[in-house]
Formats: sequence, C-alpha cells, structure tokens
Amino acid sequence: MQEFLQQLINGLAVGGLYALIALGYTMVYGVLKLINFAHGELFALGAYLGLTLLTALGLAGGGPAAVALILLFAMGLVALAGYLLERVAYRPLRGSGRLTAVVSALGASIFFQNAMMLVFGAKARVYPGGILSGEVFTLLGAQIPATRILLLASSLLLMLLLYWFIHHTRTGAAVRAVSLDQGAARLMGIDVNRVISLVFLIGPALGAAAGVMAGLLYGQIKYDMGVLYGLKAFTAAILGGIGNIPGAMAGGILLGVIEALGAAYISIAWKDAIAFCLLILILIFRPTGLLGERTADKV
Amino acid sequence: MKKLPFLALLTLLPFLASAAPSLAGPVKIGLLAPLTGPFASEGQDMKNLVSLLAEELNRAGGVNGSPVEVVVEDDGSAPRSAANAANRLVARGVPVVVGTYGSAVTEASQEIFAEAGIVQIATGSTAIRLTAKGLERFFRTCPRDDEQGRVAAETIARLGFRNIAILHDNSVYAKGLAEESRERIRRKGVANVIFYDALQPNERDYSAILTKLKGIGPEAILFTGYYTEAGLLLRQMAEMRWSVPMIGGDATNNVGLVEIAGKAATGYRFISPALPADIDTPAARAFLAAYQAEYKTLPGSIWPVLAGDAFNVLVEAIKARGTDPGAIAGYLHKELRDFEGLTGKISFDYSGDRVGDLYRLYEVDAEGRFVLVP
Repeated sequence: MQEFLQQLINGLAVGGLYALIALGYTMVYGVLKLINFAHGELFALGAYLGLTLLTALGLAGGGPAAVALILLFAMGLVALAGYLLERVAYRPLRGSGRLTAVVSALGASIFFQNAMMLVFGAKARVYPGGILSGEVFTLLGAQIPATRILLLASSLLLMLLLYWFIHHTRTGAAVRAVSLDQGAARLMGIDVNRVISLVFLIGPALGAAAGVMAGLLYGQIKYDMGVLYGLKAFTAAILGGIGNIPGAMAGGILLGVIEALGAAYISIAWKDAIAFCLLILILIFRPTGLLGERTADKV
Repeated sequence: MKKLPFLALLTLLPFLASAAPSLAGPVKIGLLAPLTGPFASEGQDMKNLVSLLAEELNRAGGVNGSPVEVVVEDDGSAPRSAANAANRLVARGVPVVVGTYGSAVTEASQEIFAEAGIVQIATGSTAIRLTAKGLERFFRTCPRDDEQGRVAAETIARLGFRNIAILHDNSVYAKGLAEESRERIRRKGVANVIFYDALQPNERDYSAILTKLKGIGPEAILFTGYYTEAGLLLRQMAEMRWSVPMIGGDATNNVGLVEIAGKAATGYRFISPALPADIDTPAARAFLAAYQAEYKTLPGSIWPVLAGDAFNVLVEAIKARGTDPGAIAGYLHKELRDFEGLTGKISFDYSGDRVGDLYRLYEVDAEGRFVLVP
C-alpha cells in the first residue's frame, strides 16, 4: 500500500509534466489540425532559458519568488519563439496542404535542436541545486519530496487557468470557435490569424513552464531532451483525444501514472511498452481518445 | 535532369580519391566521432583532442616529412548515420580511421572500413563481439566488457556485498557489461543478484524504479549505463533519503556525473581505465596541460584520451611503415610493443584488443573529485 502510494505520486509528478506539454500539441491540433513536432524542442528551450536566466540574474538562492519570476520570464520568451515559429514555418504554408506543414514542423524541430546544441553546447547542463526546499513529507509511510508537490500543484494551477480562459472568456470562445470551424468563425467576424497566433503563444508558454519545472526537479537538461518528452506528451494528447484540452490533461496524468505503476508491478524495462500497449487498446475501443468527440472530418 | 553531371561526378569521387594517396600530399587520418546526438559531448572532445595532437605533430614537422590532415566525419551517435559517415570517409580516401565511441555505432562502420581495406582503431567501443569477427584491420585502444565485468565482480567481492541489484539501460554496451558481471558474480558465488532489469535512458525521472528497488532492499546497486543516468539516479536517491552504495562502469567516468548529482555523488564508486590525471608519464601530463591551455578545460572523460592514443599509434605505424593499410595493420599486430600512450603502455594482441590490465576502482570524494582507490 505504502509503495503503491509512493508510485502513484511518482506517476502524478511525471504525468503533470506530460500534461503541460501535451496541451501545446492538442491546442495547435485543435485550431490547425497540425502536429507541431517542434513543440518538444520548445519545451527544451524553456528549460535552457530558465537556466540561463537563473544564472544571469544570480537568483540561484532566491527561493520560490525567484523561481516564479524565472518561470514567467522563460514562458514569455518561449511564447515569443512559438509565435515566430508559426509566422515563419507554418503561416506561409497554410494553404498548401497538411503534409507540407508537417514536413515544415519536422524541419523546425531539427532546426531548434541543432540551434540549441550550438548555442548551449552538447553537454548536459545542470540547474544549481538547493533552489527549492529539499524537504520530504511523509504521508502514510510514503516519502514525498516537497518539490514534487510544489511542481505538481503549479502545473495543475496552470492547467486550470487555461481551462478557465478557454471556457469563460470571449477570446477563449473565439479559440473554441476556430477549432470547430475556421471558415464559419471567420464569417462571424473572428480574426482567425490572431487566434492562431494566440494558440502559438499559449502552447509554447506552457511547454516552457514544463521545461523549467523539469530542470528544477531533475537538475539535468540536455538539448535533445525534448524528443522523448515530446513523444510522450504527444501520446498523452492522443490518449486524451487530440484537440481536446481536458483530454490532454487527463491523458498526460494517466500516462505518467500508468508508467509508474507498470514499472512497479510488471517490469521496469517494459514500462514504456506497457504504456503504449494500453494506448493502442484505448484507441481500439475509443478511436478518438478518452475525451475526444467523434466528428465527421476525422478519419 | 540538370543534376546528372553532378551525380556522375559524385560516383566518380571514390575513384578519384583512392588515387590520391599515391600523390604527395598530407597524410590523411580519418576520425569518426559522435559530433551530434546523445554522445555529442564525448565526440566533440574527441575531435578537439585529436586536432590538437595533429597540430602539435604538424608543428614538429609532421610524419615522414608530410603534414597530417585529420578528416572528421560525424557518426551522429547512431548506427545508421555512422554507416553514411564511414562511406564518406572511404570516399575521401583515408587509409586509417580513429573511432568511434559507441559499440553499436562502431559495429555499423566496421564492415564498411574492412571492405575498403582501411585500418580502424575504435576508442570507446567495449562490446566483446567487435574483435571476435576476425577482422584483421580492426583494433581498439579501450578494453573489453568482459574484462570490465571481471573487475566488477572482483570489486563487489572485495567490498563484501552479498545481495546486489544490477541495472542497465538496454544499450549494447550496458547490457553486455551487466550480463558479463552477472555471469561472473554467479559463477564465482560472489553475491546474490536479487534484481536485474533495465531503465530507459534519456528519461529524467527514475523515481518509479528507485521506489521499486528500495522495496527490494539490495545492499548495493551495480549500474552499468552512462553518467547522465547515474547522476540522476544518485540525485533522486538522495531526494528519497535512501542511501545505498552504487557502483558503476566506465561510462560513468565523466565529471558530468558530479555536476548532475552534486553532493549526492559522494561515495559513488566506479570501475574505469585510469584517468588522465592518474597517468604519471611526462608526455601525458604535458599534453593535458596543452589541452587545458587550448580549450580551457580538461577532457570530460577518458574516452577522448583513448582516441588520442589511437591517433598516436597510427602515426607511429605510419612513421614505421608508410600509409599502406596492410603494412600498418601488420605493424600494429606484431611489432608495436609497449608504446608509450597517454593512457599507459599500448600493445595489441592477435584479435586487435589492447593488452594489459587497465581497470582501476575510483571513488567520488566529498569535493566531487575522482580518487583512485588503491
């Protein structure tokens, strides 16, 4: 029981990160029907910018306030990168078919990865230790580091904010309208380009938040770290029903928990295989994912 | 269609290039290294180190009166890109090649070089089977995994652990070393292996694995993977307030381990060929000082230094026998004895493996330094 609880918490922390990254995939897919393959790299960029700001501003000993500041800064900068990415790599190709955009996305991903390698170096970089408290809580015999709770809570907070924004503001309604039907939304007087740009600001910002959190939690970041996390988060987005925001959150957290429990009770080496088998099973019975809706244009 | 003449030229290139060595010109030495991909930091150190050696050599007049040109190709840390890179090196007409690092990556290049008759000296590829294929022109300056497995089993016996966990990462190298160690430990009755499994490299979160291990309760963990994962494991073990001795293989011999794990690295032990700093020859010390002056840091690990040794023995062979690959291979097999390399004395046996006892046990001290355990 104690070990189960411990593993559940391990899974929740990882799942929270997957969910934050998955939101970027799902939002872009929602409005553009495009898989933004460069999103994992934006996550890694967030991790690097967080570290750069942390050292440049000399905030390594600054506690939670400094961390929040760094988080916001990194989110802002990566949002800008996401905006530019859309303007340069996707908008000019918008009329030319989905495959073209996917190729462009892959190219952007390779570009970001190599640019990060050249700028920040091929070696793994390390966040300074002791930024967050090293306290460990004991709950029903399970050891829970305070950092994990803090980071899980912040990712949940960001997700709730996004959910509120999408469902309870006028701009959020515009985003939903564009994802339902771009043409009709345009006829209703919605500036579709603005909405798409907005999505490319929000998604990457959330990815950057996940990147900084990963850096703080695990300490070590590397220019190619976005590949594996991107793949997992993309899977989570599909698991939850791509295009669906609560689905991405649920999918991410579920994937994290399945992985942790699979490692605990079946086999560590087969952890990913188990998670992906489950994904296939879910997609066989619910082809649109857990919370996805069946729509006419989905194949 | 416009590209046709260009393509025709490209297909001709290998022939043009293979004619080149007969003309007087620089002596070409190929370097196959992971300049990109997961092993990029090792590869870039390899390139830096070998370039510096070549520069020093050329300043001293080169080899047999000609300057040395290092022809670098990126293996991308992956077998497929390594095969392409190897083909490019063949096309550029190098008689000898230094590299590469990963065992699986080297394996993808072996046949290509063998077919072209090129002498290859791998530098970090410790998988046993690489030298078991009967390739006459394949050598390595690093030791083999079974040797390391033997030392790992001895070390565990020496430290007196009775119940141990073995963790690898499913790579050719880590799995080979894990299997070899498990076999030796079992056969000699050194300890009980109560856990044996693999983690997924490149992940950041190993808390699920560590939680499981903690439940099983080994006296020590033998981790045979790479330093990034070892560092993360140590760091997350400390986060969990779980202190169990961890012992690693030679791929954890990298200062990055201490950077990642911080204080949690204290007491971590690993088996590795002697570090550059522990080799007490004047030549090695002088060279490392020059390296420090040029690049403002020492090589991150022993592996780039082994690439330097491969370069040095090739130069030695070219000095003695010219640039004919067959003659170079013969010289390395039969005549090169106790060559003073940066990592100690170098000789090769009939299969191309390096001869001699290379492994030492190291421990990380409280300041994060790697200290030789006598």
